[in-house]
Amino acid sequence: MPLDVAPVIRSYETQRTLNPPGIPALAPPPEGETEDIRRIAGRFGEDIPAAGLHHGNQVVYAQPGQLKALATFLRDDPQLQYETLIDVTSVDRSELPLDGEARFQTIYQFRSYSRNQHLTVVTDCRSGTEGNGTSPHVDSLTSVYRGAEWPEREVFDLMGIRFDGHPDPRRILMPKNWPNHPLQKQAPLGGEEVPFTFTWDDPEFDTLGTQILAAESVAPDLPPGMSRQNMVINMGPHHPSTHGVLRLVVELDGERVVSIDPDLGFLHSGFEKTGENKRYKDFVYYTDRMDYLSSMSNNLGYCLTVEQMLGLEIPERAQVIRVIMAEMQRIASHLFWLATHVLDVSGTGMSLLMYATRERERILDLFEMACGARLTVSYIRIGGVWQDLPDAFVAELKDFLRLMPQKISEYEAMVTEAPLWQERLKGVGHVSAEDALAMGLTGPMLRGSGVDWDLRRDRPYSGYEEYTFEVPTRDSGDCYGRFTLRLEEMRQSVRILEQAVDNLPSGLYRSNNRKVALPPRAELDVSMEALIHHFKLMTEGFHVEPGFFYHGIESSKGELGFFIYSDGSAKPYRLHVHGPSFNNLYAIDHISRGEMLSDVVTNIGSIDIVLGEVDR
Amino acid sequence: MGIEEKVPEGILTTSLDSVVNWGRANSTWPLLFGLACCAMEMIATGTARHDIARYGSELFRASPRQADLMIVSGRVSNKMAPVIKRIYDQMLAPKWVIAMGICASAGGPFNNYAIIQGVDKIIPVDVYVPGCPPRPESLLYAMDMLRAKQRRETIGAGRKVEEPLAVDEIMPLGV
Ligand code: SF4
Repeated sequence: MPLDVAPVIRSYETQRTLNPPGIPALAPPPEGETEDIRRIAGRFGEDIPAAGLHHGNQVVYAQPGQLKALATFLRDDPQLQYETLIDVTSVDRSELPLDGEARFQTIYQFRSYSRNQHLTVVTDCRSGTEGNGTSPHVDSLTSVYRGAEWPEREVFDLMGIRFDGHPDPRRILMPKNWPNHPLQKQAPLGGEEVPFTFTWDDPEFDTLGTQILAAESVAPDLPPGMSRQNMVINMGPHHPSTHGVLRLVVELDGERVVSIDPDLGFLHSGFEKTGENKRYKDFVYYTDRMDYLSSMSNNLGYCLTVEQMLGLEIPERAQVIRVIMAEMQRIASHLFWLATHVLDVSGTGMSLLMYATRERERILDLFEMACGARLTVSYIRIGGVWQDLPDAFVAELKDFLRLMPQKISEYEAMVTEAPLWQERLKGVGHVSAEDALAMGLTGPMLRGSGVDWDLRRDRPYSGYEEYTFEVPTRDSGDCYGRFTLRLEEMRQSVRILEQAVDNLPSGLYRSNNRKVALPPRAELDVSMEALIHHFKLMTEGFHVEPGFFYHGIESSKGELGFFIYSDGSAKPYRLHVHGPSFNNLYAIDHISRGEMLSDVVTNIGSIDIVLGEVDR
Repeated sequence: MGIEEKVPEGILTTSLDSVVNWGRANSTWPLLFGLACCAMEMIATGTARHDIARYGSELFRASPRQADLMIVSGRVSNKMAPVIKRIYDQMLAPKWVIAMGICASAGGPFNNYAIIQGVDKIIPVDVYVPGCPPRPESLLYAMDMLRAKQRRETIGAGRKVEEPLAVDEIMPLGV
């Protein structure tokens, strides 16, 4: 059966007629200089067409021929020491006024943990002539940074850019027979017309149901590198301990794991493409549904990115409320991790699931108090938060905070010292600091290997610099280390919460910049101007200056980054989400090799993935 | 439905119906199967506060062969659709499906290339639960509706009543 993706282009989704002339526009060249940029320019000279600061980030444009040399230089130069490649993404600029420039660009985010520096590298893709039409390509960085493997596969899958020298250039998210690369601009958003009629003869129903792929199972190919000499088993996508719809192809020698090939994309929902068709303010609701265990952190990460592109000041009260929400969310997410991890490893540890969800329910109650929703909150909005905290919130939160440390000790008493638990976790899933850096792991996966890095402390946002807390690290690099680390993180979150709730300032809970944030409801009744602002924001939204920006926050699972390329209009031209689960999951093959099959379950739990964020 | 279809109609089967239905309605085992955000609320329904055990449904079975109820808790992607279809086919009759959340019911916020606009395009659905995600209470109400539906079923052949449920048929738990 041929694949029919119902390529409906809905005009109301894509119209840009509201835009003033001059939009769309390309990102402006970066300006200014820093020490690192001088050093890079000194080494590469003419091969760096432009370099400087853009929205406060260091940006270097590189010739495609020099990309690999530049990456090697960034990693190895003693004065630069960019140990990690955080993220790889790409942009298809075909709808921008290009003037003969390359259509595709790839964008890399490098991070130096030792020097606390962040660097963005942009490179044009060479256009090739292979296949039908032109298929752009660029050098792969996998030989320099191992962690580039999956992000590059994702770029290939969604954008159609080939990476020369990539060891495993397969699709990663979409089915292997998918007809297009969905993020290319000429690829339609797809979906189905919403029928506004009940007459079945109406042509609106013609396309209904055509989106379904032929629902037949085909025997999958053996992933490259696996041998039929060993037993190859399939774990998932329907499996109780893969935390969702993850499929692992596991090659086993006896009961020992030889290699693992994760098959992703069973929950691919097209967030990025959808985001490019929504106004900035409307994407907040989607961020909830990515890492659905940390909705608040997702809201926060996205809003911060847009706000910094706008140069928006956030009122102090809103900042503190945001910190409260983000930390409560971290505790909730860690509680859920604890519950499922223990359940997975023991197979029967239902009691801890019940206890941990009991506390989690209390956090969800607090969320519900603040915004009415338990899970998909959309509480943090661009410019502040949706509405002010209700009066009873603070007392209730204080009560919870009194309770929580004691509860954490209770969980610890149940498992931490238990010999069976230690047996199952100690020494399992080991990852060294060098490997963690090379693979681009973040969050507890990184700190569990002894790298002392936390974005909240080292690149503070939302006023985190005002709180005293410790960043726990563990040198063991195994599942047990990560287990105790996360418990300690919960304690630290409680500490931050205590400080925040004691110093909750009064004042605005949302910016009073009416060009960006909605006026309070009460104002609409008395002020014509407020009504106009409201109407304008609701119908057209706000415009963001042309340019691009990457910003990462420390979510419960690691660095959650948003990359936005704006063409000056009211919708993001390109929106990319760097999900920590995606990069951390890449480690599963590395840490499980040579271990038992049952340890794979432990490792999945210890990485703490959420498939909504892996697949996006 | 297997052997039941061979049973002739009569007084015996009518009384048998109520016994069998009572059993089915009070021990519907769901499949341990989560897709997306809605699955978190499904798990919350299974834990202490909402306590789905009152319905005899706390036993989430990982194997489709042991499950009676599939709760499609989340968005169904094009890649996942064949898998869901296969899992459904592997479940033994009688079997029921709850489409939990707007994604499983109609695609929800994801009207795009990746997501199927409702799981009913590939498998039959008994109860749709609105919400994004539905609260645990909504899922419990869906269980009530399903039980009302189950109580109407008969074990004989061709006697399934296909009229909409009346409100007073959906009895809250314990009635
Ligand atoms: S209905 Fe809403 S909560 Fe449920 S899977 Fe869809 S997006 Fe997530």
